[in-house]
Amino acid sequence: MEYLQSLLQGFSVVLTPYNLWMATVGCFLGTMVGILPGLGPSATIAMLLPLTFGMNATPAMIMITSLYYGAKYGGSTTTILLNVPGEGASVVTALDGYEMARQGRAGAALGVAAIGSFFAGIVGTFGLIFICVPLAEFSLKFGPAEYFSLIIMGMLTIVFVGGKSITKSLISGVLGVAMGTVGTDFVQGAPRFVYGVTMLMDGIPFVAVVMGLFGIAEVLVSAEEQMKMKPIKVKFSQLWPSVADVLESKWAILRGTVIGFLVGALPGAGSTIASFISYGIEKGVAKNPERFGKGAIEGVASPESANNSACSGAMVPLLALGIPGSGSTAVMLGALILYGLKPGPMLFAQSGDFVWALIASMFIGNIILIIMNLPMIPLFAYSLRIPYALMYPAIILICIVGGYSLSTNVWEVWLIIIFGAIGYVLKKCDIPAAPMVIALVLGPMMEYALYQAMNLSHGSILTFVTRPISATLLGIALLMTIAVMSKTVRMKRAMLEDDDD
Amino acid sequence: MKKTDRNFGIVCLGLSLWLILEGLRWDYTSGFTPGPGFEPFWLGVILACLALFLIFDSFRRKDSKDDNKNAFPEKKALFRVALILIIFSGFAAIVETFGFELTVFIFVVLILYFLESYKIGKSIFYGIAFSGLLFLIFKYWMQIELPHGFLGI
Repeated sequence: MEYLQSLLQGFSVVLTPYNLWMATVGCFLGTMVGILPGLGPSATIAMLLPLTFGMNATPAMIMITSLYYGAKYGGSTTTILLNVPGEGASVVTALDGYEMARQGRAGAALGVAAIGSFFAGIVGTFGLIFICVPLAEFSLKFGPAEYFSLIIMGMLTIVFVGGKSITKSLISGVLGVAMGTVGTDFVQGAPRFVYGVTMLMDGIPFVAVVMGLFGIAEVLVSAEEQMKMKPIKVKFSQLWPSVADVLESKWAILRGTVIGFLVGALPGAGSTIASFISYGIEKGVAKNPERFGKGAIEGVASPESANNSACSGAMVPLLALGIPGSGSTAVMLGALILYGLKPGPMLFAQSGDFVWALIASMFIGNIILIIMNLPMIPLFAYSLRIPYALMYPAIILICIVGGYSLSTNVWEVWLIIIFGAIGYVLKKCDIPAAPMVIALVLGPMMEYALYQAMNLSHGSILTFVTRPISATLLGIALLMTIAVMSKTVRMKRAMLEDDDD
Repeated sequence: MKKTDRNFGIVCLGLSLWLILEGLRWDYTSGFTPGPGFEPFWLGVILACLALFLIFDSFRRKDSKDDNKNAFPEKKALFRVALILIIFSGFAAIVETFGFELTVFIFVVLILYFLESYKIGKSIFYGIAFSGLLFLIFKYWMQIELPHGFLGI
C-alpha cells in the first residue's frame, strides 16, 4: 500500500505536460538513434545526453530512461529489417526476425517485438518496485566497509559485462579506475596526474569520456566505409502483426519477461545473456524446435521481451545500491551524479520523490513506446533509408554541443575527440568500453569508502572480513571470480558477442 | 589479433610503469588511511600483471578465427577515420573564432563533399540546413550558450 501511494505520487510528478513531452521526445529520439546500425543503448544515451542539459533532474532522467527504452526498441528494427544487430542482446533476435522479414512477415516480427517489449517493460517495472525498495532499505545498514566490499563485488562483475576476454575486461576496468584517480586527491589534496593542467583538477569529466568512448568511437567504426544500407522492402499493409501472431507468441513473451528480469537484475549479467537464455529455453520447450532459425515468431518474442525486462532488472542494482550492472546503467549513474543525486542506499531516503517519479516514468515510457511504435513502424522502417552520411555528422555535432555546453569551454570538446580516438582503437583491439566507464564511476567511490573504512577501524584491514555483510559480499565476489575462471563459463562467454547494453 | 594483443599489452605495460612511478612520488599512507600514492601504485602493479598475461597468452594460445583477421581495417578506411578526426579537431580549433553556425556549416560541407562524395551544391544545402536546425534546437529550444565568433552569431 505504501508502495502504491509512493507510485501514485510519482505519477503525479510525471503526468505534467512538460514531463510527458520529455518522455515522448526521449522515446522517439531513442528509437531513431537506436535504429542506426551499430549503435546500442549506451551509445544512444551517451550521444543524446546533451539534450537533457539545462533541465532539472526529474525531466532529465525521465528523458534518459525513455531514450534507454527507445534505443532498445530501435535496435530490434535494425536487426529485423537489416540483419545488423545494434547490440549483443539483439543478435539472437536476428536469427528468426530477419528470416521472418525475408518471408514477408516483417510487420509481425516488428509488432510482436513491440508488444513483447511493452509487456516486459511494464511487468519488469513492477518487479523493480518489489525488489528495489526492500533492497534499498536493507542497504541502509551498509557502512563504509560494506560499501567498499559491495563496490569490489560490483567491479568484479565487470568481467561479465565486458567482451569475450576476461583479461581484456579487467584491463579496461583497471584503466577506468586509473582515470578516476586523475584530479585532486581527497586525503591530502594532492593533485594527481594533473601536470599543471588546471582543467584536470576536478578529474576527467565523465560525460566527455562516455561521449567519446561510446558515441564518437561507434560513429568512427561505422564511418570506416561509405555505408549503404539496404533494408528489406516491406509493403505498407504488411507492417503490422495479426491477432494470431500475437496470440501465438503470448507464452514466449511471458517466459522471456520473467527470465529477462531475473537475469537483468544480477549485476553484470545484462540483457545479452538474458536474451540468449530465453531463446534457448523457448527452443527447448517448443513442440517443433526445428522451426527456430527459420522464422519462428517465438524466436523474436521471447528474446525481445527478455531484452526489455532486463532493462528494468538492471535498474535494481543501480537504484538500490548505486552499482551499475551494464554500460547503459553506468551512463545513467553518471547522469544521476551529474544532476547532483547520489545513487545508492540513500537515494530512496533522500530523494524519494525523484525515484518514484523515475519509476513512474518507466511505466509511462513503455506506454508511449507502444502507442508510438505500432503506428509508426512504417516511419521507423523508412528511416533506415536516410543516408548514414547525413546521420553521422549530426551525431558528432550533438556530441560537440554537449561537450561544449558542460563548461562553455572547448576543452571538453577536445577531450571528446581524444576519447573518441581512444575508443576507436579499443574497439579495434577488442577491449570493451563498458568496464572502463563503470570503473571510472565506481573508482573514486571505492577509494573514498576505503579511506573511510580504514579511518573508522584505525587502520585495521580486518574490518572488511569481520563485519558480516562486508564478509558476505567479499565471499560472493570470491565465488564469482572462481566461477568466471571456470572452463565452462569461459567457453560460454566466448559464444557471446560484445555487449553494448 | 595476436599481434594487436601483443602491441596493446606493451602499451599497457608502459602505462603500468607510469602509474607505479607516479604512485611512488606520493605518500603511500596517510595516518590510518591509504595515501594518494596507494591506489595508483597498486593499479600499476595489477595492470602490469594483466598486460604480461595478455602478451604471454598471445604467444601461447592456438590461432582462433579472430586471430586470423586483421584488427584494423585497410588503409582507405583508416584514412576516412583519420580524416573525420582531423575535421572534428579542426572544428574544435576554430569554433570559438568563427562561431558555432559558421563552423557547423564548414564541418558539414567538408564531410559531405570530401568524404561522402556529395556534389558541392547538395553539400552546401545540407550545411545550411544542419547549421540552422542545430541553432534552432540548441540555441532557441534548449537555450544553450554557444560560441559566437567574430560574426557575433
